[in-house]
Amino acid sequence: MGCSVSCGHGYERPSLRRATDHLRLATWAPPLVAFGVVLLVWELLATHERFLLPTLGQVGADLTGHLGTLLAYGGATLAEALPGVAISYAVALLLAVGMDQSRLLTRAVLPLAVALNVSPLLAIAPTLTLFLGLGRAPKIVMTAIITFFPALINALAGLRSADPKALEVFQSLSASRWETLWRLQLPASLPYLFAAARVVVPLSVVGAAIAEMVAQGSSSGLGVFIEQQSADAQLGYAWAGIVTLAVFGLVLTALIVVVEDRVLRWRGFKQ
Amino acid sequence: MAISTEPTGAEPPAGGEPYPRPTASRPAGPKPTAMPAVPEPAQAQDWIVLSGVTKRFPNVGTPALDEVDLAIPRGSFFTVIGPSGAGKSTLLRVLAGLAKPDAGEVFIFGEPPAEASRRKHLGWVPQSPALLPWRSVLDNVRLPLQVNRRAPCQPRDPERILALLGLGETLDRLPAQLSGGMRQRVAIARAFAFAPAVLLMDEPFGALDEMTREHVAHLLLELWQAERPTVVFVTHSVGEAVVLSDQVSVMGKGKLSEPVDIALPRPRPEGIEDTEAFHGLQRELRARLREAFAAPGD
Repeated sequence: MGCSVSCGHGYERPSLRRATDHLRLATWAPPLVAFGVVLLVWELLATHERFLLPTLGQVGADLTGHLGTLLAYGGATLAEALPGVAISYAVALLLAVGMDQSRLLTRAVLPLAVALNVSPLLAIAPTLTLFLGLGRAPKIVMTAIITFFPALINALAGLRSADPKALEVFQSLSASRWETLWRLQLPASLPYLFAAARVVVPLSVVGAAIAEMVAQGSSSGLGVFIEQQSADAQLGYAWAGIVTLAVFGLVLTALIVVVEDRVLRWRGFKQ
Repeated sequence: MAISTEPTGAEPPAGGEPYPRPTASRPAGPKPTAMPAVPEPAQAQDWIVLSGVTKRFPNVGTPALDEVDLAIPRGSFFTVIGPSGAGKSTLLRVLAGLAKPDAGEVFIFGEPPAEASRRKHLGWVPQSPALLPWRSVLDNVRLPLQVNRRAPCQPRDPERILALLGLGETLDRLPAQLSGGMRQRVAIARAFAFAPAVLLMDEPFGALDEMTREHVAHLLLELWQAERPTVVFVTHSVGEAVVLSDQVSVMGKGKLSEPVDIALPRPRPEGIEDTEAFHGLQRELRARLREAFAAPGD
């Protein structure tokens, strides 16, 4: 194709179109305004209720003053969140493939997955700690549990989203189940898997932090940091930890969007 | 457009009748009668045969296929026209092995549809192009060569087929970058790429505008002339049926009429639609269609 912006036949390369989109005020203005409104309300509340909410200035000072500590604690949380979400995605994808092929497996597994999804982590945490010890393992498993259900449902929906007419073409060629999965269903499910990743990966960071709070014997991670600072009424530090968590979530989401744009390049072409 | 390709089936005899004619009742001998007859086993290798095929769907009173008998010789272009819901697509799905009949037998050149499909003898062109949006045009056409590789086939050069269909400049484009007519041509190229003995085409031009339809139909005709697979084609368009076919049957309420011979010379040039012979055949088929619409039970 080798064209720059316009290919001369009425189509535009999506990457370039999106690049110009990113520079437009209309792209950046809405989130900036929304953030501005939230920060303004925060500052007003903090000014009137200084024992409940620290001011933005205080949070900013605590954040910059302890950035090294926060990043070290954040690194520990990421070291639990990312393996957790990776395990969750791998198991969800394997199960979804099985469930797509077997109604029996769907009937067997789906209620279990729903039960796991609605089980309170607080109730599971002590048992997991007893089984897996005081290290990272129980937090990784708890993160995997928190992120598993949305990953499974989206993977299943993605595999079933393949064009039925294209499925007929594969059937007419006597394509094997593996060939149909590899060449049709998995590529067709990628938009669903990325949509789930946008939800699940940031959720994994929050999940890991919660796991650190509820699992006994935790000594590192942003969850531990936030809990300790809250207990000591150091609200500025606690909120600095929460903001660090949010920034991690935003950065991870942005990374997923970049990868998604590259992998699903075909989706960007519009006539 | 002169191209040289390898034959896929029985070549038509030289001179006289260019190739055997399909019949809704029996394959050879005198004029077809209302009572169908299955070809003799010795002839079965060269016929597509449906015998007493019935297909019902749950909670639908009228069967989609009602004891259909049909025999189509190798290398011919057979078209089924009829109103919506007449059972045309079901007939194709049964031939493709995508639906199992409740009663009756189906043989594609002597083998059941499942076996024909396993041996990659069937090319399926659905109503929508059903291209894989993440694959380039060329990779979409190569798809049949990449699946079910155990089945022997004589693959054609995908680039050559695309060029024949006027898509030589679009090899690296994605389906979303093509017009509807171009996408449908890619779907046709995909079906021809592995040189199947039988092409089953379910209203492939249904979503195209009139001008594009005519153009793509003539391109299909050129490709068919060169490759000569047996084609079973379903359409709503009487004109399209006349331009393309050797014989046309009208389907109504699950029943197939005696086929009408399309006695137009081949190759059929663009502009054949303006001849009196063409209009006469159109009138005859329209009369058959009116009968199908007014069949008992209406």
